[in-house]
Amino acid sequence: MIAVKLIPHLLAALCLLLVLLRCFASRRKSVLLTSVCGLSAGAFTVLLLRSMPVVSPYLLLKSLLGVGFLALWGVSVAVNYRKNAVALDKNEGGIVSSVAALAGTLLAAFAAGGIAIAKLSDTALATFPPVLLLLVVVIVAVIVGGGATFLEKQLSPRVTITPVGMVVAVVALLLFSASSILRLDLFSPLSMKVMKGVHDLVHQSMESVLIPDHVFVRPVVWKYIGFLFGKEVGFWGGMVIWFTPPVLIALAVSSRKLPSVGHIRQGAQRRKLLAGALREQRLQLLLPLFSLCVLAGAAYQSSFPTVEYWDPKPIPVVANEGGMIILPKKGDILLEDGKIHKYLFKQKEREARFFVLLTPDGQLTVDLDACAICKPDGYGQAEGSVICYYCKTLIPLDTVGKPGGCNPVPIPFTVKDDAVVIDALTLINTWGATVQATTRVKEGGK
Amino acid sequence: MSPYIIETGGLTRSYGDICALKPLDLQVPEGEWLSVMGHSGSGKSTLMNLVGGLDRPTGGTLQVGGENLLALTEDGLARFRRNFVGIIFQQHHLVPYLTAIENVMMAQYFHSMPDEAEARHALERVGLGHRLKNRPGELSGGEQQRVCIARAIINSPKLLLGDEPTGNLDHKSTIMVMELLKELRGEERFTVIMVTHNQDVAAWGDRTIHLDDGMLVREERMNCQ
Amino acid sequence: MNRRRWLLHLVMGAIAHRKGRALLLLSVLAMASSLATALGIVSTSMEKRVAEEVRKYGANLVVTPEASRLDIGSGGLNFGVVSEPAFLDQGQIDSALAKSGVRAEHSYQLRGALHWKERDLMVEGVNFSDIRRLFPWWQLKGSWPAEGESVVGNDLATRYALKPGDSLELVGKAGTVRCRVSGIVTSGGEEDGQLFVSLLNLQQALGMTGQLSQVRLMVTAGNDGIKKSAAVLQQLLPGTKVSEVRQTAHTSEGLLTKVKLLMVMVTAVVLISAGSSVTGTMSTTVLERGKEIGLMKAIGGTRREVMLIFCGEAALLGIGGGIAGYLLGSAIAHFITRTVFSASAEFMPHYLLVSLGVSLFLALLGSFGPMVSVFRLDPVRSLRGE
Repeated sequence: MIAVKLIPHLLAALCLLLVLLRCFASRRKSVLLTSVCGLSAGAFTVLLLRSMPVVSPYLLLKSLLGVGFLALWGVSVAVNYRKNAVALDKNEGGIVSSVAALAGTLLAAFAAGGIAIAKLSDTALATFPPVLLLLVVVIVAVIVGGGATFLEKQLSPRVTITPVGMVVAVVALLLFSASSILRLDLFSPLSMKVMKGVHDLVHQSMESVLIPDHVFVRPVVWKYIGFLFGKEVGFWGGMVIWFTPPVLIALAVSSRKLPSVGHIRQGAQRRKLLAGALREQRLQLLLPLFSLCVLAGAAYQSSFPTVEYWDPKPIPVVANEGGMIILPKKGDILLEDGKIHKYLFKQKEREARFFVLLTPDGQLTVDLDACAICKPDGYGQAEGSVICYYCKTLIPLDTVGKPGGCNPVPIPFTVKDDAVVIDALTLINTWGATVQATTRVKEGGK
Repeated sequence: MSPYIIETGGLTRSYGDICALKPLDLQVPEGEWLSVMGHSGSGKSTLMNLVGGLDRPTGGTLQVGGENLLALTEDGLARFRRNFVGIIFQQHHLVPYLTAIENVMMAQYFHSMPDEAEARHALERVGLGHRLKNRPGELSGGEQQRVCIARAIINSPKLLLGDEPTGNLDHKSTIMVMELLKELRGEERFTVIMVTHNQDVAAWGDRTIHLDDGMLVREERMNCQ
Repeated sequence: MNRRRWLLHLVMGAIAHRKGRALLLLSVLAMASSLATALGIVSTSMEKRVAEEVRKYGANLVVTPEASRLDIGSGGLNFGVVSEPAFLDQGQIDSALAKSGVRAEHSYQLRGALHWKERDLMVEGVNFSDIRRLFPWWQLKGSWPAEGESVVGNDLATRYALKPGDSLELVGKAGTVRCRVSGIVTSGGEEDGQLFVSLLNLQQALGMTGQLSQVRLMVTAGNDGIKKSAAVLQQLLPGTKVSEVRQTAHTSEGLLTKVKLLMVMVTAVVLISAGSSVTGTMSTTVLERGKEIGLMKAIGGTRREVMLIFCGEAALLGIGGGIAGYLLGSAIAHFITRTVFSASAEFMPHYLLVSLGVSLFLALLGSFGPMVSVFRLDPVRSLRGE
């Protein structure tokens, strides 16, 4: 099971090492050594930090990924802006200094190792004794390194990798690897940021332009403004930011000038040179296009995560004559098992969905299955957090029960005789108010 | 660097029990026009095929243009042929569904990439500027052979091989083709090896070797050229 | 000129040179792939149709009077039959349901003909609130009816130009129903040809108070539970027939599997024969062109490059055959579903991929064997024509 979970990550790491080895072909040995060390070090660091409550390893990895993505942006803009001045896209050994090459390799391998081990939960790892675990990590790193070396030997020597191609492939592979881990994924937060940014912008501009009310704006225009308020704007905006760097790099490669052949008198020689240059160019387009596919895979994984959420079917409940919903703590369902338990309450035409959860600090909490800002798509429980299905925000279990943001809206309740008692009217009214408020935003009103 | 473009030592080629080429030592200096004469079955075509990298010897050494042909793989030989050798066939061997210019471009394609202007120029040089778009079926034997010559020289080979290039041509066309080859050799300075059984055609070369039953029997130098 | 364009040009030239043979190959490929496409589309459409039929009966049990027959999926219903047979007694059903302890949502329905503007209309009396629960897939244009309102099936509405807001006066044996059309329903089934009024009104108009022509039940239970409930109800309801809706679906699914198996076998036979005919044609072509191959090798083409040219040719033919096959196959599928199954086939663009795949596979497979044997030859011998 653990092995199956790790396969995509190890494959990504394998490709990553392959690219690095071919790019720094002149320093094969030191690069191989560095990357194997990096892989193990990344895994060790994550394991170590996870055992300490103070620092989160995810933050470290995520910032590393973020820096990588920004660097990719920088590189992609640079190769376009100074097309022939920047020699980054030429494959000459001396361009990247030895130190930079090894440092980059170390960082990339570190991130790859960290991400791979982050995929495994603590409980899965707890079955191994620590020493054995460290040994296994090192062995796996060595195997990956050996595999990459073997593959690199099989690869035709005509395939060369430029530093730019290396950067785009490495970052894309890391992002792909990270995208299957909720807490490391960059694409969803990116599209979320874009969405919030656009929403704020539209809001601000409308207020500052002083459009008094939407009666003055034609319905067609409202449709467009409504689009800006939708979820799609975040997704598409995220896509643009996501895919631009490899596209820019591919453009830079394909628009690079061919060698001048005018001075060569002999036709055959001229053709040979030109054909060689064209083939080289095509080979160099390979990596940006490959990265494009990998990034698309990452975006897909992020949008349709394969993580299994704990998401029980809401159980219908009814109120007693006093208008109270009474949920026994120890009935068919054990309320205090640390999982969310969803219920559906119907009263005439109105209904409300809510869940009961025992938070890690031992507090029972009753919340709507909806938050104050999103469409009420509900929550699912992942390890250590619940996730809002609409905006994919992760909410740590400790903060569930506190109002604000995308947190589930808390409902007042009392505990009586080993049962949770909720006032049905309050529940249904809170649900009504919340849902009404959030759906209005969706439909584009102010 | 050896002054010879072709050097063979004890070169043999046998098909089963039949020995087509007995051990042969031959040196061809760069730029020479060598005529190879003999009856059919004397091993002259075998020699040409070996030198052009179309066939592999069964023994001996074979160096062409500094390249040891025995050490090359199948694809290596193909690459050697495209970069180094131009071949003119007795049967022309033009692709029937391609026009004259396209037949020339085919050779360019395998060498590097097609270039229409250059192909047109090559056909103009062999005097076919007016028949670019004709298919082989619409050309006379002499014209077809000239297309074949244009195709052979388009990639500026170091070595031009002719396998009875005038075997199917009448006297007038033969003279025309030979004149053309001589002229082109003057410009491009390639080495020519031409297999023929026609004494007059052989006389165009600098040197003639006679093969019989796979053995070199006589060698003569022409001084009139 | 760029290498790829040249390659395409070369391949097109080669195909044009042997028009007859290319056409033969194209038609064989097109036929094979069109058959695969057509059978694929037909069986998918059929599968969907059966699924729809099953879905149509959201209710999983149907109680009908013993004499009357239940027709599933056929739109036409004989008026004469309805008036004659026995009816169910609403009270009996109610008590049986209560006694049996079966937890089920139910919809009481009465069917009868009412006179409207000199013609008889097939009218169904229902409780609209039940309908909403049991038939959630009803697509209603307009609104759900309130008291004194009715719903018209889509086909009927088109036929008599009825629209929401129109008033109807329907005359029955024992009374008159006056109602307003509140909405138009599309369900894809027989409902499209019916008029729905409230059960009580219809019972009064027909003078059949407390009588029903069928009851649909949605039992919330597992597979066994439904059977059990059916058995329990059957005992409590003599003179009626309690049948599972699944049963009919099962039989049609079984039939479908058999038909599909037949289709797969036919396709396999056709593909094999088409494959061998393509192989035959291709092998003669390639052998004929041995000299061409020898020449290409002699002037410096590597085996891979020459192979690419010939595979390109096969692939181009394959693509052409695939596209033609898709078009032809869709037409055939349309024809078959229309005439044999009297349903319309859907437009399924993803079958283009299937068709292309089949055609390409056949073309490449057919030319692969002969090519390999020719490519083994050395250029000298193939040039000599051996």
